Amino acid sequence: MIDYKKHKSNFSPYLEKLYQSDKPMIIYKFIDGYKIFTDFSKRIVLNKSNIENFLNNISKKKFKREQDLYVGFFGYEILCNLLNVRIKNQKKNGFYKGLFYKPETIITLSKKIKISSTLKKQGFNNHFNQTKILKPFKINIDFKKYKKIFDLFSKKIRAGETYQIKICTKYKNKSEIDPVSFFWRLMKVNSAPESFMIRDKNYSIVSCSPETLIEKKRLKVTTKPIAGTLKKNQRLNKSKALRFFKNNDKETKEHNMIVDMERNDLSKICKPGSVIIKKKKYVEEYRHLYHYVSTIEGKLKNNINLKDIIKSMMPGGSVIGCPKIRTLQLLNSQEKEGRNIFTGSFGFIKFNMDMRFNIIIRSILNYKNVSEISAASGVVLDSSSKKEFSENYIKAKSLLELFK
Amino acid sequence: MIYIIDHQDSFTWNVVHQFSQFDKVHCSDYFDINKKLLNKSDVIVFSPGPGSPKDYPETSKIYKKYKGKKKMIGICLGFQLILYNEGGKIRQQNKIYHGYQSKIKVNGKSKIFKKNKVFNIGRYHSLKLNEPYFSKNLNITMRCTKTNTAMAFEDNLNKIYGFQFHPDSFLTENGNFFIKKILSSK
Repeated sequence: MIDYKKHKSNFSPYLEKLYQSDKPMIIYKFIDGYKIFTDFSKRIVLNKSNIENFLNNISKKKFKREQDLYVGFFGYEILCNLLNVRIKNQKKNGFYKGLFYKPETIITLSKKIKISSTLKKQGFNNHFNQTKILKPFKINIDFKKYKKIFDLFSKKIRAGETYQIKICTKYKNKSEIDPVSFFWRLMKVNSAPESFMIRDKNYSIVSCSPETLIEKKRLKVTTKPIAGTLKKNQRLNKSKALRFFKNNDKETKEHNMIVDMERNDLSKICKPGSVIIKKKKYVEEYRHLYHYVSTIEGKLKNNINLKDIIKSMMPGGSVIGCPKIRTLQLLNSQEKEGRNIFTGSFGFIKFNMDMRFNIIIRSILNYKNVSEISAASGVVLDSSSKKEFSENYIKAKSLLELFK
Repeated sequence: MIYIIDHQDSFTWNVVHQFSQFDKVHCSDYFDINKKLLNKSDVIVFSPGPGSPKDYPETSKIYKKYKGKKKMIGICLGFQLILYNEGGKIRQQNKIYHGYQSKIKVNGKSKIFKKNKVFNIGRYHSLKLNEPYFSKNLNITMRCTKTNTAMAFEDNLNKIYGFQFHPDSFLTENGNFFIKKILSSK
């Protein structure tokens, strides 16, 4: 919330012009503010056959200045493709499987506004998209259907085929949105550490993702899985929430599993003995809920390339379930609608191979005048279908409220 | 060299890092075995994984081929897979343990671990060994202190060992100790 006020007090005519235009732009949350990427000189649409080339080519580029990076996202489907996990017979809306941009202008919003650009002149046009809600939100699976999938997955857990699995539900409405104003309104109430916004000519994404999947600086890789959600109420505070998680069998087991799983995913690409749990089981506070979090890090092996890193870490384990491959196969056999960006990853890769990626959750995707918000929660053996179904609603709530 | 056969689990690389502390390790998917390297290895490890032993006939073949010739170690599914090949029946549990910390106790049959010693260990399993179970050379050596479920075995004649729990989990205290003892037993 402090970030937002800081930003708002810094009124800038340049920024107002940018916001009011329809110029493609991306905003990403950083520790002490936000970065805005714009004036894109390249726009790379990813698919099954060019993704490897895209990743390989980055390692050949030189990092000279701030703008030497790609910012964008990998959708869920392309990450499954990388792992050779198939998706069949799903309803799709034709949205991009992955998209990356090369920015020429980067604006840093922290205590001051800093504009850094390789271009001499930046033009804007005046075009403003007002938010219009044409039809109200509807959920794509009702409780009855949800329970059917839930019961099937419970059976699979009993048989040892999966240990934990996350079912996705989707809220959709018909609407046009102004993503910039949505984003800043969202940041006012919930400036989650991995928040971002993308505005492009034919789609937009607004997200308050709380979860960092990869933070890589030189050889050090860090991941911060979230497993455990508690709805806020007036009697709770952070230390009570921690006590709740610690004493709650189901949340503890779910979290333990994700910690071991993320240790595994890091171990695949890191030097033996270098993977450690940096901070074990702590609580982070958000608008409507508390999360149970751990921080794990490792040092990369010498011969690891970008593709290895993406393949071993994505899609992020905490939003899929465990073990990853078998669980992805089960999910893809039951979910009838494509996940699009949901449980994919957004972030940037610098040309020196440093990178940061989140897990795309708590997000609105607006495409072809439809806004969709997805949420997922876990089936483990002690969970109840009713509770998990409503947990999905709690997770989507702060985004649904933006449409009011 | 240690050859770890991965059953596409999300814990296998924790196992790889743990064994790497003691020797060179090679790891591959169960359907993509490097037969030359496997033949050259001193120890074969069967990783954890989803499903049940009957889903992995290729691994069972490897087990039978090298039984008595190489030291072999099974973890979780690997533990069940060895027992399954030794006439054991693997069945679903009433209570399922995923991400669970339990206490286990060493019994008098162990030649490697001290009798009555208690350990805190991490568990991830839906299935377990159906008992009573009898075998000529293979003895159950550790059990859950609460449920009495079989948690480890030793066949010191053929040098075959197994853990139902995960020595590789952060929930297991002193996990390296188990691996070190098994690897150094002659």
